[in-house]
Amino acid sequence: MTGTTTVMDLAWWQLLLALLLVGVTIAISIRQNLGLERDLVVGSLRAMTQLYLVGLILAAVFSAARWYWVILILGVMTAVATQAVVSRLRKPLPGAYGIAAVAMSVSTAATLAYVIGVVVRVHPWYEPQYIVPIAGMILGNSMTSAALAGDRLQGELRARADEVEARLALGFSGREAVHPLVRASLQAAMIPVVNGMMTVGLVQLPGMMTGQILAGSSPMTAIRYQIVVVFMLATATAIGSLLFVRLAARRYLTPAHQLRRYLF
Amino acid sequence: MTILSDVSVTVERAGALTLVGPSGSGKSTLLRCLNRLVEATTGTVRFDGREIRSLDPRDLRRRAALVMQTPVLFEGSVRENLRVRPAGAPGDFSEARLTRTLDEVGLDGGFLDRDAMTLSGGEKQRVTIARALLRDPDALLLDEPTSALDPPNAALVIETISRLRQTRRLSIVAVTHQPELVRHLGGWLLYLVNGRVHAYEPAGGTDAAADPQLRAFLAGQQRADARSPA
Repeated sequence: MTGTTTVMDLAWWQLLLALLLVGVTIAISIRQNLGLERDLVVGSLRAMTQLYLVGLILAAVFSAARWYWVILILGVMTAVATQAVVSRLRKPLPGAYGIAAVAMSVSTAATLAYVIGVVVRVHPWYEPQYIVPIAGMILGNSMTSAALAGDRLQGELRARADEVEARLALGFSGREAVHPLVRASLQAAMIPVVNGMMTVGLVQLPGMMTGQILAGSSPMTAIRYQIVVVFMLATATAIGSLLFVRLAARRYLTPAHQLRRYLF
Repeated sequence: MTILSDVSVTVERAGALTLVGPSGSGKSTLLRCLNRLVEATTGTVRFDGREIRSLDPRDLRRRAALVMQTPVLFEGSVRENLRVRPAGAPGDFSEARLTRTLDEVGLDGGFLDRDAMTLSGGEKQRVTIARALLRDPDALLLDEPTSALDPPNAALVIETISRLRQTRRLSIVAVTHQPELVRHLGGWLLYLVNGRVHAYEPAGGTDAAADPQLRAFLAGQQRADARSPA
């Protein structure tokens, strides 16, 4: 990376100045009777504490640069993403943790391996400066799309259970009978990503690109990374939501091609 | 939770069985146990002498075709709806046969090109019956096939069903609230209350039910039918 400017370090008193912005938000909440004051205070405190702790951990991992620390961090991130996906389901699904864990880890591992090993060619592969933020972006997107797809699948099942049973009654297999619902769920999960590709850079600069530019990279370096990121996130989203929805859809069916109506 | 218990019935080839009873008495569940859309936790169901668990559920459901209360048609033309089938499923779905089958349910060939979503309720229900017939079923399982229809359309569907039973020698199991359908089908009448058989007797006219409670139930349905708007 070629630095074009030096990075300005932020002092604690500057962060406190930024906190005044939350004051404005709280004032709006009080004036408009939104009732969000408490959440805003808690949210601000949590954001500061969580980010501070993450900063400490990352600083330690970056300086140690050991593969096992990196793997541990990736494991924790995957576990948090798994939990987030499961908690977004409106109705609990038996085995949801296992399904979400498979979807999150496979989509992240596959995409990450290609980006780190083949595209960017990071040496050593576990260089935390690259792998941790990239894995974070992949997981975040895979998590959002899997949650969206799972929520949509449950909604589709509730709305279209008769249609599924009609197909079963016509001799379709369970997998064939739910396929249109699976397809609708995947489309719902992927459309935001595809739309994002259409407008990337035009409305707002993506977070990673902003970060790189703020940190002193040239915009041309930043956009190259961003292009990789856009493609990588589309893949992670597709794999993550596909695995989650396909595996979840199987849970709603029995081996005798029956619909488990009590599950949704 | 037990939905059904101590239910034992037999339907002959080309025979008819009508399931009646208050809502929540387990009629639809019993019907769905017959084609295994619902799994009975205990007990056995035999189809053509074979325990249904030993059959491929997909074959069973083609041979014992279910027609639901609210007709489910998919987006597309009537022709596409009639041809809906799993990939590689056998059967003759030629234009000539589609037309012939539509004719059996009282619809002319012109319906093939109609958008399925624009059909009336009665037409939709007859298309779903035709779709079932195209699979050459041995039995029809009917879940309140006429309750979502207005009386003239209901009468047409009832007439179609009882005619098919004769011409195709179909065994029919029907859940219904409509004494009209009971009367047309004949056969046997099973009166379910809270998942148990309250009466099981040959279906005569409405007044001929031997069991007094069943007689009162049917008479009540008859009055409700007469009140419903045409």
